[in-house]
Amino acid sequence: MFVQEFIAAVIPLYLVATVLYLYRALKGPTIPDHVLGVDLLSYNLAVLFIVLGIFFEEPILIVTAIPLALWIYALDIYVAKYLERKVMGA
Amino acid sequence: MIEELLVYTGLGLIALGAFAQLVSGIGVNRFRNFYLRLHAATIGSIWGCVYPIAGAGLVALGYKELGPYSTFMAGAAFVTSFLILILSPAGSHALARAAHKTRQALVEPCVHDALDPSMCVRGGGS
Repeated sequence: MFVQEFIAAVIPLYLVATVLYLYRALKGPTIPDHVLGVDLLSYNLAVLFIVLGIFFEEPILIVTAIPLALWIYALDIYVAKYLERKVMGA
Repeated sequence: MIEELLVYTGLGLIALGAFAQLVSGIGVNRFRNFYLRLHAATIGSIWGCVYPIAGAGLVALGYKELGPYSTFMAGAAFVTSFLILILSPAGSHALARAAHKTRQALVEPCVHDALDPSMCVRGGGS
């Protein structure tokens, strides 16, 4: 089957999106913009882990994506709570 | 037969996710205030993250080269996509609420802001 060729053709689109997100994460005029950029970069990284796990036929790569998804949510909640109440922590 | 169907469906979802991430990247850079950028960002996290991960799970179910770990990979992919489906809107809403309550990001081209009219910056075109 042509799975590896198809994924090799699709991955450059994800990398272009990574560059666009990185630009917003570095530039973003306000603090929520920076956090949003980091958020999107991490989601992009999670997708890339799983797609590359299929591409390289390495199933262990997928284990890294689940804690990454949970940490993105934790980052959102921490930053939102710090902005609202000026306390760190959950 | 059923394996080919799974693999083709999954590859289609991965390609859809790549297109959605590209649209989201353009939208995040082109929209004009934080709340509009949040709209583009949720396109990138649902269409661009949940669907390709579920598609990767479908590919892993039908892709024999992965060996005995293919069902493990499919299950982990479905769990990840479900977690992101639940957690990503919750995180975005918390961030938007904090940004609006603490006046970090003004509503720049504004028509009407019922929560806090003093944050509504009129003008600036559409």
